[in-house]
Amino acid sequence: MGTTTQYTVSPAGIGPIEVSVAEYGSGQPFLLLHGGAGPQSVSGFAEKFAAAHEVRVLVPTHPGFGGTLRPEALDSVARLAALYQALLDQLELADVTVIGNSIGGWVTAEIALLKSPRVSGIVLIDAVGIEVPGHPVADFFSLTMDQVFELSFHNPDPFRFNAATLPPAAQAVAAGNRAAIAVYAGAAMTDPTLAARLGTLEVPTLVLWGESDGIVDSDYGRAYAAAIPLARFQLLPATGHNAQMETPDQVVDAIWGSGDTDFSAFAR
Amino acid sequence: MPRTAVTRITHSCHLIEIGGRTFLTDPWFSTRPGYYQGEPIAIGIADLPRLDGVLISHEHYDHCDLEAFAAYRDRSVPLFVAETVVEAARRHGFTDVTALKPWQDVEVGGVTITATPAKHGVYEVTFVLRAGADAVYFAGDTMLIPELAEIPDRLGHISLALLPTNGLHVRPADNLQVVMNAREAAELTAILRPELAVPHHYAFTKGFLGDRLITRSDKNPLHYQEASRDLAPGTSVHIVEPGIRIEL
Repeated sequence: MGTTTQYTVSPAGIGPIEVSVAEYGSGQPFLLLHGGAGPQSVSGFAEKFAAAHEVRVLVPTHPGFGGTLRPEALDSVARLAALYQALLDQLELADVTVIGNSIGGWVTAEIALLKSPRVSGIVLIDAVGIEVPGHPVADFFSLTMDQVFELSFHNPDPFRFNAATLPPAAQAVAAGNRAAIAVYAGAAMTDPTLAARLGTLEVPTLVLWGESDGIVDSDYGRAYAAAIPLARFQLLPATGHNAQMETPDQVVDAIWGSGDTDFSAFAR
Repeated sequence: MPRTAVTRITHSCHLIEIGGRTFLTDPWFSTRPGYYQGEPIAIGIADLPRLDGVLISHEHYDHCDLEAFAAYRDRSVPLFVAETVVEAARRHGFTDVTALKPWQDVEVGGVTITATPAKHGVYEVTFVLRAGADAVYFAGDTMLIPELAEIPDRLGHISLALLPTNGLHVRPADNLQVVMNAREAAELTAILRPELAVPHHYAFTKGFLGDRLITRSDKNPLHYQEASRDLAPGTSVHIVEPGIRIEL
């Protein structure tokens, strides 16, 4: 189990923001950012990663998710990135690898674009955020929950639940999460300027993609990697959009063992 | 005559005192995402002594941090550089910039600075500084190449050698080696036969992910010390922490 701390963080131009951060393990620092599925979609992975290696994994809950408050001024992915950059400064962390899934991957890309020396590498897991002609992000807001499960997992059955049977408090949290997604990412979940801006990055980047991702397909992932100089793309078999939930061991191995790779992966 | 001495600031950035003059090599005073010294920066720019010259081997950021070094109090300090550095140096406001090609030399206050060959991922030169019987060889982050064996014949005895040892490989470039490794540095030590050798360019890291995805390197300078014991037993190898001044 992680320990959770409330931090008051003051990113420039936004003002003080309360953010809840769960922390797992000790050692090499990682900032792990969840997507629209909420903090519980990455907490199991954080626990597994910290048990397997000497790592300190920080898992913030994006304000507005998990029943937390979102200040009105915190209204975009770029501002979330500024929040987490300020958190890393406040904690005086160095050599941080930022990992993000889905919308969390988009936030990760925006953090990298802030070019802080504290961030030494990024891992994008089935990230959204760029526009790729012919490969749209699935329209989350028009999908039923069953469809979301179908598109999010290679084998959705172990992950399905019936939202209608959730207790009222949990339903309220789910509604809050949905509202937060809409504010941060918008309906399209893309920023038409992002791909071009990524071309300026020099930060080491690993792009991991579930082969069966139905939210953003693997060609979208290849385009993401192609937009970032020297990014390495790796396809994860039998895995969907929430790779860290469905095949966490593959994700841990891909990150920790990324030195033992076939470097032809760079030749795209 | 003052003693010849070297103070390692960080990575390949040294203060070299020779012939009563003080020179700075390959300035690196900041960090960027994916570029970390892996060791302290022992002296900040504001605390640098008055410099008689600055030597820059090539344009890579970890050897040529002109953006930070532009804060040095006197941008009319003479810079002796690889020709690929000239434009950037002038752009950062340095007014006295001289490009040296291999085997070209220049004299600064009784110290002869000679550029020597190098091979790296980009164009690079290395340098020999001589004052009287003392000579310091600064090897930047070159590979070991046959031309370096000409140094003793062409420039005389080397007293002190500052050598890279991490054998840096660039993984995405077919694992291309771009810096000499510990064994090769020991081979060069055996060729140059200095009284004293100091390894540098070994603590460098691209961070957790960069060391896995982009570079592979040997971060242990003891490997050089051990190899030199076999190949160059007449040379004393000192592993020097940043900030420590050692005299010849």
